[in-house]
Amino acid sequence: MSHGDKFSTPVNSSSRFISPIPRSSAIKRDSLAAELERDPQLSTAKRQQRTQAFSSHLAHASLERQLAAAQTTKLELESKLREKDLLIERLEGDRRWLAEREKEEREEKEREREEALDAKRKADSELRSLRTQLASLREQHVDLEDEHSTLSRSTSQTISSQKSQVTTLARQVSLLENQLEEFRQLAEERAHAFDELQAQFDELNAAQDSVTLNHGQEDEDWTVVREELHRQAKYMRQLESANTKMTVELNVLREKQTSVEVLKEQKRELERKLHGAEDLREQVVKLEAELDAARQAREEWASTAQPATPSKTPVSVTQSLSNLRLTHAKLMEEHGSNVALLRHRDQTISELQARETQLQETVDSLRDEVRDLKGRVARSEHKAALSEREVSFLQAMVASFNAESAANGDVKLEDDASKPLQQLEALVKDYKGVVLALENELKHVRENTVVAEDLQAKQQLLAELERERAAKEEAEQALKEAESESEKQLEQIEELEQTLFELRGEIGAGRHLPPGVRVLSLRDNPAQQWEDLSKAAMDRLKGENEALLKRLKELEESGIRGLGQSASKEDLVPRESYEGVRAEMLKLDQELKAKDKRLQRLQEIFRKKGEEFREATASILGVKLVFYPNGGVRVTSQFDLNAAFVFKPTDSQNGGKMQLIEQGEGGPEDLPQLMRYWIEEQGCIPGFLASVTLECYDKRKRELEHQQ
Amino acid sequence: MAPTKQAKQAPTRQAITLKGSTALVTEFFKFAANTILFQRGVYPADDFHMVKKYGQTVLVTQDLALENYLEKILKQVNQWLLTGSITQLVLAIISKDSRTPLERWVFDINLVEPPADSSEAAPAKPESEIQAEIRNILKQIVSTVTFLPVIDEPTVFNILAYTKESAEVPANEWVDTDPLAIEASKSQQVKLRSFSTDVHRIEAMVAYRYEG
Repeated sequence: MSHGDKFSTPVNSSSRFISPIPRSSAIKRDSLAAELERDPQLSTAKRQQRTQAFSSHLAHASLERQLAAAQTTKLELESKLREKDLLIERLEGDRRWLAEREKEEREEKEREREEALDAKRKADSELRSLRTQLASLREQHVDLEDEHSTLSRSTSQTISSQKSQVTTLARQVSLLENQLEEFRQLAEERAHAFDELQAQFDELNAAQDSVTLNHGQEDEDWTVVREELHRQAKYMRQLESANTKMTVELNVLREKQTSVEVLKEQKRELERKLHGAEDLREQVVKLEAELDAARQAREEWASTAQPATPSKTPVSVTQSLSNLRLTHAKLMEEHGSNVALLRHRDQTISELQARETQLQETVDSLRDEVRDLKGRVARSEHKAALSEREVSFLQAMVASFNAESAANGDVKLEDDASKPLQQLEALVKDYKGVVLALENELKHVRENTVVAEDLQAKQQLLAELERERAAKEEAEQALKEAESESEKQLEQIEELEQTLFELRGEIGAGRHLPPGVRVLSLRDNPAQQWEDLSKAAMDRLKGENEALLKRLKELEESGIRGLGQSASKEDLVPRESYEGVRAEMLKLDQELKAKDKRLQRLQEIFRKKGEEFREATASILGVKLVFYPNGGVRVTSQFDLNAAFVFKPTDSQNGGKMQLIEQGEGGPEDLPQLMRYWIEEQGCIPGFLASVTLECYDKRKRELEHQQ
Repeated sequence: MAPTKQAKQAPTRQAITLKGSTALVTEFFKFAANTILFQRGVYPADDFHMVKKYGQTVLVTQDLALENYLEKILKQVNQWLLTGSITQLVLAIISKDSRTPLERWVFDINLVEPPADSSEAAPAKPESEIQAEIRNILKQIVSTVTFLPVIDEPTVFNILAYTKESAEVPANEWVDTDPLAIEASKSQQVKLRSFSTDVHRIEAMVAYRYEG
């Protein structure tokens, strides 16, 4: 670009300052001439036109004349017409009157006809209704006749039946009258009787009046009698109760009597026996006497007739004697034994009786004791139940302890193990207390009851004590077991803790999933996002790869001849890669568009801001600025548009210094002086501009004043 | 472990409620997860900014997506804690390339049952004590860097919730998933500290893949 081109400013170009409008200097022409110039044949036509106008004028005059004649005729005709009109009007009036008359008549006629028609219609309808009425009436008539016949039949029947009834009734009436007569007679008789009775009654009434006087006294008597009766009834009841009592007693007594009788009979029997015994005793005595006599006789015999032959007495006698003696001895023996037995029996009876009384006493005392003992037994049983319950509780404790140990893995096992221990210890303490109490009781019992019967109770107590002791031992055993178990469990706990840690590791590492537990994660988590992303990329690559492989195969199949063909240019790039590239391109395009838009917007903003800046400088400094692309600036004063200066930066690097290179035509008169002073001497462009502005403002102000 | 001086300062504190305990535990999970993600380099360190918590500085992520994700999880975990249907929360760190789980940070959630035999309620645990316990866990997580194998590959993480079968699960948001187990032969585990409120007891553990 040349230097001259650059500065082809309006300052140089004169066209800017010279008015561009040209002044017209042409001569005006006649229209006719113009027409003539245009058409030379027009003059002949004009002449013809004039002749024609003349002839038409003549025709016009004759026509006017004709018109006047016509007007006169027309006036005449109009007068005639007016007359005729009048006549017509009159006639028309007549006609209208007549027509009205006719119309009235017609209307009247029509009205009459309508009335007649109405009447006829009404009559018809009436007739129809009457006819229907007639028909219905006829039907009714027939019905009524039927009814009448049936009714007459029924009435005749009723009449006959009623006649028969009447006859029967008449008969009844006569009969009843007879009866009535009889009854009347009877009534009369009765009335007579009644009268008599009335008389009697009156008499009796009179008597009654006399009787009533005595009535009060009777009442008193009655009360007395009643009381008496009550008393007697009570007495009777007493007697009856006594009687029953007595009969009961009697029965008892009778029973006693029967027993007495039995006893008497027994007594009698015994007496009889006693008699027998006395007989026997008599016999015995006789026999003794006989025996004595016989002994004496024998002694005598022996003493007297010893040397003599013993055959003095018969052998049979001796034999019988010996027999008798033998029997006697036997009897004696029996008797002795009987007596002894009897005595013995008596003694035993007395002994037994004594013993019985003793036994009775002992039984009583024993019963008391038994009662005491039962109480004690109940108490001890209660205690036993208590201890049993405790034992069961202990067993339950042990069981629970076992269960807890079985359900290992609990962190609180240590605490639980020590708990039952404490409980067991407490139990042992309790048992010791119980044992002490029991021992005290035992001592107490021993002191109190020295009776032999307490032995059983004591034994019971002892047994109980034994049981308690056994329970205690058992409990202690259980305690020991529990302790050992707890130790064992502590060991187990340690082991279990180790395994627990390992198992926690298992769970922690995710290898084991506890039952009933779900593992959840947010659907949209970072890992998933990454995976999706990589999967998408992978899928795309896979697709591309597949397409490439396919293409490769195709090429292989088609062989070398495919090489030269350019028909399948599209297939040279696999569709997938093409799609990928296109997507990328689209993305880039979009980006480009966005950038363009942004740039545009920025430019707009820049322009707006520049304008604002220029306006601001114009209003503040009073100069208009125009920036050139090469960095130059044209400054034009606002007050004098001819005062324009162009500055150019001296050095593009530091850009601060400006140089005045051109100036406009206008400006203040002392411009060269100002330029010299401010620019050449001072080197201060702002000062120069300020003074120029001042000058221009002054100049303009003066001009304005001058104009006014 | 528990500073007794602090415990004395708050002697009349009321017993912690289920709600309060749940909030505490949930908050702990948030900071623990952030600490793990920072310490194990799952996300770039620039994503994290320092926050004062539990009387120490804790690094918390600024990544909006990650924040949202954690927020969503913790909201649901909060629900589950209230119903007592969550048993474990696991933060699994997975290799991006091989997709093998490298580390599993396990937080066991146990409900603390009040001792059955004691007639009087156990004295409420002061919050300062709970905070001290939490602080210790977080410190321990930081210190695990010293013994855990160095991770020198890009990783990604996932949070798994072990819930009871009966737990209410918002459909479409949460899905049953693979537990991301570490092979038994290559697994090591270290039990970390635990902390407990009066309602919950959280036991921490890290299981990691170690090919010695």
